[in-house]
Amino acid sequence: MRSLLHALILGLLGAGIVHIAVLFLVPEFSERDAWSRLAMASDLYKMTRLDAEAGGAPVVKSVDPLFYAAACRFDLADGLVRIRAPGDVPFWSASVYDRNGHNIYSFNDHNANGEKLDAVVLTPAQMIDVRRDLPEDLQGAIFVEAPIEEGIFVVRAFVPDESWKPIVSRFLEQSACELQDY
Amino acid sequence: MLKNAILTLLSLAIAIGLGGYSVWYALNAQDGVGAIRIGQWTAFPEVGTLAADPYSKARVAREGVLALGQAEGLAFVAERDDAGEPLKRECAYTIEGGYPTARFWTLYAADQSLGVIDTGKPRQSALQSYEVLRRPDNSVVISVGSRPAPGNWLLTGGSGKMYFVLTFYDTPIASSTGLSDVTLPRILKAGCNA
Repeated sequence: MRSLLHALILGLLGAGIVHIAVLFLVPEFSERDAWSRLAMASDLYKMTRLDAEAGGAPVVKSVDPLFYAAACRFDLADGLVRIRAPGDVPFWSASVYDRNGHNIYSFNDHNANGEKLDAVVLTPAQMIDVRRDLPEDLQGAIFVEAPIEEGIFVVRAFVPDESWKPIVSRFLEQSACELQDY
Repeated sequence: MLKNAILTLLSLAIAIGLGGYSVWYALNAQDGVGAIRIGQWTAFPEVGTLAADPYSKARVAREGVLALGQAEGLAFVAERDDAGEPLKRECAYTIEGGYPTARFWTLYAADQSLGVIDTGKPRQSALQSYEVLRRPDNSVVISVGSRPAPGNWLLTGGSGKMYFVLTFYDTPIASSTGLSDVTLPRILKAGCNA
């Protein structure tokens, strides 16, 4: 009887340990996280629509129905990545996420120069290099220093009503996500 | 000898079974640590940031969400009306009151996965603050239901559980200091199609 009780207590203790271990392993091994879903939909440095408007099921869930969104994956080990989008939309916002989908940095059109989206994501080490000799065409850009390698850049744009749909779609389709030489 | 083996197996079975099940259960529960409740509205300002607790980190990884950043906005979810009853798609509701400072807000009726309700009609079950009619004191009254209503009307339909998602964009309340004296509109039940 005593040994049964002993086994039960050991089991409960073990359950606690397993609980904590599984909890911390879920983010490491998840195949359903945003990165993996995007990887199935498209390549690195390619803007992909997240909303269902472009056809098919939405890639990443829980996008506001009055918003369109697009995302691209990048790897800062390859170099800096520059994201640009032209045009006038009522509101846009952008976020940089790390490999596990944590929001590292976010900004919106009021933070930008002339309300145009022009952002460069780079590591602190690359920032030092770029600062030494800032290229002419990067001077208006927003620099996002992120201590990460792989990451996701998301642009969200507000669609106030039906008539804005083509304009906002065009804004996202013309957005570019590319490796930048410096 | 055999007894020892059985007891060891029992301990292992409890450890792995209970440990695994408890994680699964905790990740499926709607509320969690770090929630902020204002009336019936709940927000998780820290979900999807590096400051989040391990449970919401695991949930973010499992569900593949990309949470709104602080400079983008903050979403509140309601699953009950002011009387404490769960929201139902077959019922009509009135959402009334003032809204905190933000550049604009959107409101939509959602199903269990927090995606917008598909009513099968061209009109979306979503409203935004630029298109709503306001009363002289700047408050907004929104009628929610499957039948058209004068004033502001949010279309819903079907049956089953319903959630309201109210998102404020470019708002100072997303920084945690602003959350203390925020009031959000009340959700009142107007009637049901039994």
